[in-house]
Amino acid sequence: MSPGSHGASSSQRSVETLVAKLRRRQVVGSRETALETVLVLRQVVSKARFSNITQLVTLIRSVGKRLVEAQPKGAPIFECAPSLHAISLPYLEEYNTASKGTAAASTKPVYSISTFVLQGQPRKHTIGAQKSEATITLKEDDPDDPDSFARALKPVFMEAIQDVLDELETVYDNISKNAKDHIHSDEIILTIGNSKTVESFLKGAGHYRNFTVIVAETGPSYGGHEMAQSLSSAGISTFLVPDSSIYAIMSRVNKVIIGAHAILANGGMFAITGSLLAATAARVHSTPVVVCAGQFKLTPLWNLYHDYGALDFADPSSVLGFEEGSLVDKVDVLNPYYDYVGPELVDVFITNDGDHPPSSVYRLIKEAYDDEDYEL
Amino acid sequence: MFELVNELRSGAEELKKRTHNPISLTAGCELFIAFVTLFPHQSDSFSDLKTELVAQGQKYASEAISYRHKIAELMLGFIKDDSVILTHSYSRVVMKALLHAHQTKRISVYVTEARPRGHGIKTHEALTAAGIPCTVVLDSAVAYVMDKVDFVLVGSEAVVESGGLINAVGSNQMAIIARAANKPFYALAESYKFHRLFPLSQYDLPTHSTNILSFPPIPPKSQDTSGVSPGSQAPLHNGNTASKGKIGKHAERLMSLEQVALNPEVDYTRPDLISLVFSDVGILTPEAISQYLVAMFAG
Repeated sequence: MSPGSHGASSSQRSVETLVAKLRRRQVVGSRETALETVLVLRQVVSKARFSNITQLVTLIRSVGKRLVEAQPKGAPIFECAPSLHAISLPYLEEYNTASKGTAAASTKPVYSISTFVLQGQPRKHTIGAQKSEATITLKEDDPDDPDSFARALKPVFMEAIQDVLDELETVYDNISKNAKDHIHSDEIILTIGNSKTVESFLKGAGHYRNFTVIVAETGPSYGGHEMAQSLSSAGISTFLVPDSSIYAIMSRVNKVIIGAHAILANGGMFAITGSLLAATAARVHSTPVVVCAGQFKLTPLWNLYHDYGALDFADPSSVLGFEEGSLVDKVDVLNPYYDYVGPELVDVFITNDGDHPPSSVYRLIKEAYDDEDYEL
Repeated sequence: MFELVNELRSGAEELKKRTHNPISLTAGCELFIAFVTLFPHQSDSFSDLKTELVAQGQKYASEAISYRHKIAELMLGFIKDDSVILTHSYSRVVMKALLHAHQTKRISVYVTEARPRGHGIKTHEALTAAGIPCTVVLDSAVAYVMDKVDFVLVGSEAVVESGGLINAVGSNQMAIIARAANKPFYALAESYKFHRLFPLSQYDLPTHSTNILSFPPIPPKSQDTSGVSPGSQAPLHNGNTASKGKIGKHAERLMSLEQVALNPEVDYTRPDLISLVFSDVGILTPEAISQYLVAMFAG
């Protein structure tokens, strides 16, 4: 990334700041991370100097790599990878539309059996798609004016990034928009953890319906306490129960609504510890499990390493504090932060782009990601 | 054009007649015919189009060789170090995946014998030669071995529109047992094995005939019956058939050729028993298969 780096020391700095924040866990939660990442990337792109698309892509990729490595333990790539992918795709799309004018003449769509398998029957518009969309004339690697390419493309990219930002900012509204169709009057809902998405979903339904929410307190982080407080202050009848009684009360519950940390391509997901307990209990009672999550939580990863689903561990002191000094050096204390909930335990994902069963998550991901982007 | 398609159809028919097991062949033929009918061409004359189509066909055939490697590559991420894998019979794509994984990871493999053809032995030989620890298990010992394995990996004759799998007989029971033991069941299928077929049961498969699983006539009692009343037994386990003399004393416990002929060669595995299908177009849930098939053949 030669021309990109020297002209952009300030953007480099902003990347480093975010890296540090991620390391120190000052930025937690996938939406926060996604937002921060997009903001940093916006800065990077606006400052970057590049004279062809490859340079830009390499630059973005290197920033992405840097951020992924910054993740605690390096393992859960999914935290900010999704948002990165989400932007790099619009880039390329915009680029493709923008450059069509120059490239169209030379590249006739090649149609072979393998594309037939991949894309299905040829559609009319793919064949005759030589539209005159070229509003800007682009010339890569112009020796006279190396910045002309960047100058022409930057506004397009900025617009694409802004779209992503807008989408991230309106995620909660869009998800809770349809809440009243999912929650009916007098239902009893069980939830766990303190997911902002679920919170706004329940509150969204609260405007229209009278229902009861049972919040599991979600030890050892006890996010359920805040959730219960917030819901009851919004006028929703709320009960707070210990995690251990989830199974016992499941027979009275109509629906389990939980949030997700990341959704994998196979339709499984990572969610706050205790979600697996709730989902399994729900399965026994055939209670529907509804997951509310923004689309930026989709990751193109399959269920790799799900055996180590709890790869991210939280502070063990909330399980066994130092006041129990005599015990501390005699036991290993683990406090896994996430559960892996398999696709067979989830009934539906409610996203800002409609409702989807776990089995069609792969399709959403295929639409949103480039094949080469899978490995960052 | 119409004539060409007719030609192709009858050619495919001819091929099918000559082969023992037409399912995967049909899938491939139908793919090419669908491609020919829908190929958007700008050729001026028919002979131009013909050369173009032939070239496309040859190109695909040469590409297709690389698909197994692509699948092996995709599969690699799902094989952990020290995995114990159960596979069934012999499949080239499974072999490729296992050998590819062996280069970077320690794996050990159980393979079923896969009666009556015994292709499992072939798998065993190849894997052992490559230095992969491998044990042949009885087809009837799948349930016994299931608790020891991490996942099941099978190849395929074809993947059908429901997302289900057609593969060497025994795959279905393997999938059922894997589900019961909560083990993932992965199928590997090159995309030319996607087959537009929607079997609802085993007996809807094109390979099924009235002959399969039929009850043969009971031989007259006057001949050498060894005291067992043949009528009381299922014919498949019936030791006293007319061909007894041919097999020889030591092989008495094996089925006769006539008995084998009454048995299916392939079976159908329901999509809900399959965890994932690995194909060169990507890793797919069984539901995704129909999407590809509809895109190719519908309308």
